[in-house]
Amino acid sequence: MSNGIEREVLDCIGALCPTPIIQLSKAVKTLESGKKLILKADDPATKSDLLAWSRLTGNQVSVIDETTFEIVKA
Amino acid sequence: MVTAGAFDGQRPLHPAGEQVLLAAFERGWADPNGLGASSAQSRHLLNAAREEIAGHLGVSASEIEFWGEPALVSPIALQGASNFRSGKFIVGQTERQEILALAQDAPTTVQIAVDHLGILDRDQLIEEIESNSTIAIQAANGETGVRQPISDFSSIVGRMGAHLHLDFTASGPLIPLPTYWSTADFPARSWSGPSGIGIMLLNKNQRWAYPFSHATNRRSPESYSLPLVLAAAAALTGWLKDAHQESDRIRNLISMIRQVISRTIPEVDIAGSGSKEESLPHILSISALNISGERLVNALAKEGFAVASGSACVASAIEPSHVLHAMGILTHGNLRISLMHGVLESDVKRFLALLPGIITQLRSEDGA
Repeated sequence: MSNGIEREVLDCIGALCPTPIIQLSKAVKTLESGKKLILKADDPATKSDLLAWSRLTGNQVSVIDETTFEIVKA
Repeated sequence: MVTAGAFDGQRPLHPAGEQVLLAAFERGWADPNGLGASSAQSRHLLNAAREEIAGHLGVSASEIEFWGEPALVSPIALQGASNFRSGKFIVGQTERQEILALAQDAPTTVQIAVDHLGILDRDQLIEEIESNSTIAIQAANGETGVRQPISDFSSIVGRMGAHLHLDFTASGPLIPLPTYWSTADFPARSWSGPSGIGIMLLNKNQRWAYPFSHATNRRSPESYSLPLVLAAAAALTGWLKDAHQESDRIRNLISMIRQVISRTIPEVDIAGSGSKEESLPHILSISALNISGERLVNALAKEGFAVASGSACVASAIEPSHVLHAMGILTHGNLRISLMHGVLESDVKRFLALLPGIITQLRSEDGA
């Protein structure tokens, strides 16, 4: 729990491209609109691909640090 | 000869080059710089090939140097520029890795950004350029087929009198040399010539020096194979006979692929605008969300299609494609479709009939 908003954490540390994005897409399917999810991933392609993923799917992505990303389902 | 399903940019030697090659090994074996009748014959054949290629590329024969290692032509052309080790090295973000790696040898390097369509930032180029700069620009990118406005960039660089190196590796002579240039790179493979022959153009009005120590006053080591040079000249003449007509036909096929993918496959990034001014006729790069490029390439191979991929997981690289990354498009699930001359429309249609189903199936297997 954080600020009263429930946030799931998807840990993809160590997973190589495109596994973090595929896992994220699956996890987001189960979320309701407006819900948040934290993705942890350290594959070099993930940060770049998340921005494209956001553009293609309409979901929002915020970069917290190099390996942590906050996702908000559209 | 066209191989069915070969959409990976691999091209067989043009029949005109093939025809010349065997005879060339019989007649052109002697050192063109030697004495005697055999060397004189080799010299005559070499000069004729040089004239033939020069005529097609729109330069004089004295501006051509042949190299036996095509991958080194651009790096050496740049390192031989008069101000490479004293001025600013300016290079596009989507240049080949071996060009970007030259930054370690230059005192200052600036990377010019590209927009979402892969076109270099003109304003940044104008802002960064100085009279003693060395600028490296690809006429077109081999990964995405995105074509740069080199006539405009040539005028910008020419006004400053800086060194402009142009890389025609992906386009070959489909894109003409602009008015102002200093050095240029044309591998013979770019026109279905033989592997192992690179052509460096050295503008006679520009200063350039071989960057490594050598014992003679030649501009290059001249380590090329003469028979391959002769085959390269013959292949170029043969290839150009129908190059523009073929390119128009292939551009229509690439447009069809672009349209069908846009219409039938959701969540796909297609690189570049696809317009004639901003793209090569024969290359298309797509990236499908939630798919491994390796699985996609393997699934297509099972159906008889050889397609390349720039995805890190396929290219045995840890880093994602710097080209796709710079353009802000998906770096996974990538397919680089490259059609060769003579490609059959029926082959392209079979590919398009299969691709949407393969992508749907792979996504479904991963539950994405």
